[in-house]
This record gives sequence, structure tokens and C-alpha cells, in this order.
Amino acid sequence: MTATRISVDHVARVEGHGDIHVVIENGEVTTCEMAVVEPARLFESMVVGRSFEEVPYIASRVCGICSASHVVTDIRAIEAVFGVAVTDRTEALRELLVYGSYLQNHATHLFVFAAPDFLGHKSVFPLADTNPDLLERALGLKALGNELCTLVGGRSIHPITAVVGGFTHEIEAAEYRRLAEAMDASRAFALASVDLFRDFDTIALETAGDMLAMVAPGAYPVCTSDTARFVRAGYEFAAAAVEEEIEEYPQGSSAAFLARARRTGAPYMTAALARVNASWGALCKDARYAAAKAGLRPPEYNPFANNIAQAVELVDVLDRCAALCRRLAADEFAGASAPVPFAVRAGVGTGFTEAPRGALFHRLELDGDGRVRRASILTPTAQNIANLEGDMRQLAEKMVGEGYDGALIRLEIEKLVRAYDPCLSCSVH
Amino acid sequence: MSENTATVGEARAPRVVLVGLASCFGCQINITNIERHLLAVLGQIELGYWQLTSSEPMPEAFDVAVIEGAVTTEEAAETVRALRERAACVIAIGSCAATGGIPAMAAGDLASHVEAVYGDGLPKACGVLRAPAPVSAVIDVDFTVSCCPIDPFEFVRVLDAALYGSNRLDVTATLCGQCAQGEGGCLYKRGQMCLGLVTRAGCGAKCPGLGRACNGCAGLSPDANVTAARAFAASRGFAPGRFDEALEMFNAVALAPAGEE
Repeated sequence: MTATRISVDHVARVEGHGDIHVVIENGEVTTCEMAVVEPARLFESMVVGRSFEEVPYIASRVCGICSASHVVTDIRAIEAVFGVAVTDRTEALRELLVYGSYLQNHATHLFVFAAPDFLGHKSVFPLADTNPDLLERALGLKALGNELCTLVGGRSIHPITAVVGGFTHEIEAAEYRRLAEAMDASRAFALASVDLFRDFDTIALETAGDMLAMVAPGAYPVCTSDTARFVRAGYEFAAAAVEEEIEEYPQGSSAAFLARARRTGAPYMTAALARVNASWGALCKDARYAAAKAGLRPPEYNPFANNIAQAVELVDVLDRCAALCRRLAADEFAGASAPVPFAVRAGVGTGFTEAPRGALFHRLELDGDGRVRRASILTPTAQNIANLEGDMRQLAEKMVGEGYDGALIRLEIEKLVRAYDPCLSCSVH
Repeated sequence: MSENTATVGEARAPRVVLVGLASCFGCQINITNIERHLLAVLGQIELGYWQLTSSEPMPEAFDVAVIEGAVTTEEAAETVRALRERAACVIAIGSCAATGGIPAMAAGDLASHVEAVYGDGLPKACGVLRAPAPVSAVIDVDFTVSCCPIDPFEFVRVLDAALYGSNRLDVTATLCGQCAQGEGGCLYKRGQMCLGLVTRAGCGAKCPGLGRACNGCAGLSPDANVTAARAFAASRGFAPGRFDEALEMFNAVALAPAGEE
């Protein structure tokens, strides 16, 4: 038998630049790489010496699609250093901002990046001819996420209004009510999306790695907890201990540092699927039922199910956003959103949020003037790559064993990469 | 895509490719964020390559190359040179491509930044690094869409100008002129340093309008008097150097002493 080489330069329909290299020799997978080929982006060094006021603005530019998460995470790290306690209203607005990026991210990933594979297209655009209704509704949901981010954060990406202590600007009650109605109106399509992705054929895989998600008792938290849970190993840790719990290590083929759990040595996935596994019971009722109907129940370790998990989260997020908007309009949250006063002081703080693509940690050490001494950023994709490579290998071995040819194996590997919803540019920071 | 993209008037639809260099991909994402309008734009062109949204490979020939991101590697410099050779028109989009943007914060002392993040083990996958620079430092650029992120409608306007021509001139005024009407009043009165004094107008002064100082993402205005602006900031009690420090975020290359490039 001869060797089959699968080589994809700059895999399409993902954010950032990555190459896939798989070599199959005599029925054996001898090479299996997801090489992140981003140039060095150097954020962790560029923020050193900069004032805390600028740092969330700079960190935002790590990622165009989860910029809201980088901003909120960085602000939480800074507030941990200064000991700032924000109002309930500010917490609610931050949740809304993060949820806005969930709507943007999941709608973009599911329909613009992932769905074309299953529909036999090279991009989402042919849907304009083949299924204009689906395209219209998919883009409408994405537009709603943009609108939410724009109204809360000031623009659809790289939010302007979120600062240490609160927000510099807020919309009127009537606009919250209008948003709530738009969320309600989108629910039917989100529910249909769960069914759509359930009906796409995927290969049965079970990731060998672990899964990591933020947890809180009785909640499905995205930016209001400091506790992370490894779902499979079954232990929790405080976000402040992230460097003791998670090891980042270099691998020459990747411009990103990879990650594994220190206690178990296991690679892991952090994503919508990990959150659904960790906090299934706290999903909104509609979302939980939709998930159950689609066969997505914990424990679910097939990484392809991340597509369904994201669709389930669309349902969940729409419900939560509608409720948050109505409560904001009715002034039910204590306090105002204008920044609370605080005093600058030296220290170390950890910010932790669930970005749309998974757990995001920012660790900042500030000096007495509020300038950065040291910064460490751990993005979802940087954490996922080692586990993705393991899953790619498992998938390739399975398909080789079942006699599939190289072109089909390549397509399935690309689908798997997209199911992880990687942000390769983010992973290098 | 569909048949209706085959021609514009009597001519073949212009073929457009979109390439991302070192960036957050946010400007490309923001182009997708015009949703329904995007389909109207795609109806006017033939989309030749856009890795973010399509698995169509890069075509041999194309008319317009849209470039996002700063040039931070020799490979990227080679890529933009190749794009320039083949494209009749090059459009640089976003602060990274236009001014070097945030990546250029590392331009001054690249080696120490690399060492701080990677130690002495820079992965091969990073490529051969060079001081981050705007696209215009490597090739001639025909059109620029400023800001971080770009306003996607501004992108459509510039693409339109590139394809069909326009007699509209680039804005040269500074942001302050646009901002004076802002209901919140000047941020300097509230004790904040704002770069609107020297930044190119055109964005509608969105940030000051929302209570946040301008950070200069649109680049320096050709009309800017940076010396006077520094003096003004100093007169408002900001320590010497603070104004230039703030400008480093998006204008590090423009601020660098001449002769470095």
C-alpha cells in the first residue's frame, strides 16, 4: 500500500490560519497535525507597561468574534486586583454583552462555517439560490446578535462602553423591550436549528480527552462564576489557580501554546458541548427539551455534537436575553451601570468567562499605578488544539479502518475541525 | 455564486479576493455583519477567494485584492507583493493594514517582545518575523478603509469607488470637528485624554459619543498638529509622554522616528 497524504493549507471557514497534515501509511495514521500557522501576535508582551484603562481595549483585539468576552474577562481580572464590586445592573449588562457574542458566534459558526459542509456547498452564499429562507433566517439571527452587541457595547465588535467598574453608556428602556421582542421572535428558528443540525450525519466518535466548563450551583454561568469543572475527571478548581491546574506547553508545529490538565495530564475540549455536559440541568426549559429531543444529553463526548450544543445554546441564550432585557427595562437590577468609584492598587487578578467557544482566562499582575507587570491569556482554542489533534487521529484511524479514501477522510477531518469552532488567530496571543 | 453575478453592465463581473494577514479577523467578520447587504454586494462581484467564508481556492487571476491585517512576517510581505502584482486594485482594510494598528505596538522592540512570549523557542509555524507594518509599507495601496474595526458600510463605499470610480476625496480633517456637537461635551473637560485632536475624521466620533475617549484607530489626520496637541494635553495636566503613549496603540509606526522603515 502507498502513503496517503492529506494536506490542507489555511483550512477554510475558520477564523485564523491553520494547516492540516495527516499521513496514512499502510493503513496506519503516522502523522496527524493541526498546525496553527499564525504569526506571533505578542499580546501578552505588548500589554506590559500599559495602563489598566487601555488593557481591555488592547486585549479585545485578540479576537474579532469574541471581543466582548476578552473585554469582560480582562475587566474582571482588573476588578479582582482593585477589589471592585460592580452593581447587579452592570453584571446583567455584561451577561447581555457576552450573550450577544454567543448569538453572533454561534449563528456565524453554525451557518456560515459549518453548515455548507453538510449541504454540499463551498460557502453559505449558494443558499441564496437553493434555500433563501434558511439563509434569510440564519443571517437574521446573526444580525440580532450584532444588534444586541451594538446596543449594549456600542458596536458589533470591539465594544466601546464596557469599562472597569461599569458602562459608559446605556440604552433606553424602550430599546430593551424591543430587543426582548426580537429575541422571542427568533426562538422558533433557533429551535429549528437544533433539529437541522441533529439531522446532519456525523461519524460516531468519543473524545479521549476531558471537558472543561465554568460551573455554579443551579446555574448555567457564562461570566458570573470563578469555578471551573473538569467534567470527566470530576473535579473543580478556582479560576485564580488556573496556572497551577492547566499547563501550557509549546509544540513546534504550532504558533499557539497547547494545553493539558496538570492533575491528569489529559488534553481537553472547552466549548458549548462542555458547558451542556457540565450544566445541562440549568439550561432553560425550551433549550433542555430541544437538546433531549435531538439526543443531546450528558454525558456526550462526540465532538461533532458541539454543533448541536451551539444550536441548543442559541435557544437558551434567546430566552435568557429576553428575560434580561425585560428586567433591565423594568429597572429590576440594583444600582446603576455608570462606573462605580474604585482605587488603583497593585496585585494579581484572574478574569474567567465562558467565551462562545469555551473557557477564557486572563491573568494580570498590576503595579501600584495600575500598569501591567505580567499578563497571561488562555483562550478556548489554545486549550482545544491538543484534544482536537487526538480526535482527528481517532477519526482518521477509524475511517482508514473502514476503507474510506483520502478525499472523504479529508472532508470529515475538516468537518471535525469546524465542529470545534476554532479561533486559530485567537489561539496565538 | 448565482448567474446574476456573471456580468456588471456589459463587462465581466470584477473578481475580488479577500486575504487576512496578522489580525483578529474582526474586519472580515464585520463585512459579514452587514448580512443582507452582503448578498447585494456579492451580486456585483465574483468572489474569488475568501478563506473565512468559503473553501473556494485562490484563483490565478483577479481584479481587486482586499487585505486585512498587518504585515508581520516575510511570508506575509511576499503574499502582499504577489497580490499587488496580480491585482489592478489593492484595498487595505482596518487599522492593522492601514497603520500597523495594534500589532505595530511590538514594532519598536520586536525581539524583546518575542522573547517575552516564546523565550528562545519561537515556533517555526510563526514564520520569519519582521517589524509589524502597514500594508502600504510594503506595496502601493489604492484605497484604505480605516478604523478598528472597519465600518462595513464604509468598506462597501470604498469597494464601490474601486469598482466604478468616485470623485469623493479622502477626509483629512481631525475628529474634533465632527465631535463638537456631541451632547456629552469634550472629554478633556471631564479629565480624560482624547486623541480626537489628531485623529482622522470620518467615523462619526462614535467612541466620544458613547463616553469613551478616541484612541486614534482611524490613524493620524494629515492635518494633525501633533506638537500642538501634545502641548494641549500637557496644559490639561497630563504628564509629558502620555499623549504619545496613548498614540502608540494604533499609530506606533507613524510615530516612529523617520528612517527606521
